[in-house]
Amino acid sequence: MTTATHPVEPFVHPALFYTDTHEYLAGTVPFIREGLAAGEPVAVAVPKENLALIQDALGADGAAVRFLDMREAGRNPGRIIPGVLRAFADQQPPGRRIRIIGEPIWAGRSQTEYPACAQHEALINAAFQGREVTILCPYDSSRLDERVLADAHATHPVVIPAGSAAELASTAYDPDDVVARYNLPLPPAPGAGPDVLGIVFAEDSLSAVRHLATGHGARLGLTGTALENLALITAELTTNSVVHGGGTGTLTVWPDNGYVVCEVRDKGRLADPLAGRRPPARDQRGGRGLLLVNLLSDLVRIHTGPEGTTIRSYLGR
Amino acid sequence: MSAPEPARQSPTAAVPKQAAPRLDVYPLTGRNGFRAVGEVILPTRDIWERALQGVVREAEDVGGEDVYYLELSAVTFVDVAGAGALADTAKSLDGRRRLVLDRPPDALPRILTLLWPGLPGIEVSAS
Repeated sequence: MTTATHPVEPFVHPALFYTDTHEYLAGTVPFIREGLAAGEPVAVAVPKENLALIQDALGADGAAVRFLDMREAGRNPGRIIPGVLRAFADQQPPGRRIRIIGEPIWAGRSQTEYPACAQHEALINAAFQGREVTILCPYDSSRLDERVLADAHATHPVVIPAGSAAELASTAYDPDDVVARYNLPLPPAPGAGPDVLGIVFAEDSLSAVRHLATGHGARLGLTGTALENLALITAELTTNSVVHGGGTGTLTVWPDNGYVVCEVRDKGRLADPLAGRRPPARDQRGGRGLLLVNLLSDLVRIHTGPEGTTIRSYLGR
Repeated sequence: MSAPEPARQSPTAAVPKQAAPRLDVYPLTGRNGFRAVGEVILPTRDIWERALQGVVREAEDVGGEDVYYLELSAVTFVDVAGAGALADTAKSLDGRRRLVLDRPPDALPRILTLLWPGLPGIEVSAS
């Protein structure tokens, strides 16, 4: 996998393909036990039904493992790097490898969520480059479609075929291509209608658009913390447009099934694909607005290009 | 100020006129601190940052550890940059002065916990 001319990359990121419970446990439990035996910090962030399987198999040994339900903690794929993976890794004392099992893609992920999932898996490689961390990502090859499984070969430098313990270099590894390929134009926001709020804003209307957005969010059924989150998300996205996106932008808020969608569109271009996914350095000023949007949203979709940037935040109602 | 105009592709209801965002800061009487009234967003950020710079400056003049109250019950909103200015202030004070946020908007302690976990020197008082 590595040659004499390339230094060994300490970050290890295999995709583990499995077709049944037996293969799932055979691929994950020894990985956890090896880490525990070596005194390494171990976290498992997988959907809760798989979490239960691993917890049962580990028994009392699971006491030393951090368990998280990925359906909750990783509902928004853009939250997983800062809110789950780095949140765990950065808390650990230096000097030991860190092991994480992260399963961000399951059969119930929607078509709206999936592009953000694929980009997340690709961006893990850049986010952890140079770190003594192993993140093992299980993929259910009996239930996920071909496209998802093919993408997993592009987002992981190493693949472990179903029913095997062999770690193979992925010949399709190309995370930058995945980030670019899923930087897709979003379907247009709905046009005029009683449920749709659409406003052009600039610096002198930041306060007014936030009030209009929250008023509309309340009419669409958001309450309490979710409504507060809409205010925070609107403020950060619109302020970003004013400061970095050409001074002005368009805010649209509308209902979409169980969600309220808040979209901000401007003329800026988001150059850093890890923007909003990296916990900022302790003394860094600024740069936390998009991170907050990722931490609070149930889903964030982004499209950026020469014509501008569209960011869509989904909040469950 | 100009009211926001409806977007071209989705013209919606008329946008209500609204006063320009304000932030006013008054010294507290009877205890060390200030009371802020209004909202902390981009157009009022300078006012907020100047008030917080004063907190650090005075701490240097006084010397020794003390408590400084930020009475925020009439602050309706604080954005991430405003929370960041507060976090920077706490760091600059470096334990010489404790900041007590008196009745801040609910979201402010939440933003601080999410984005500056483990930040020392800031307490929240609900009374």
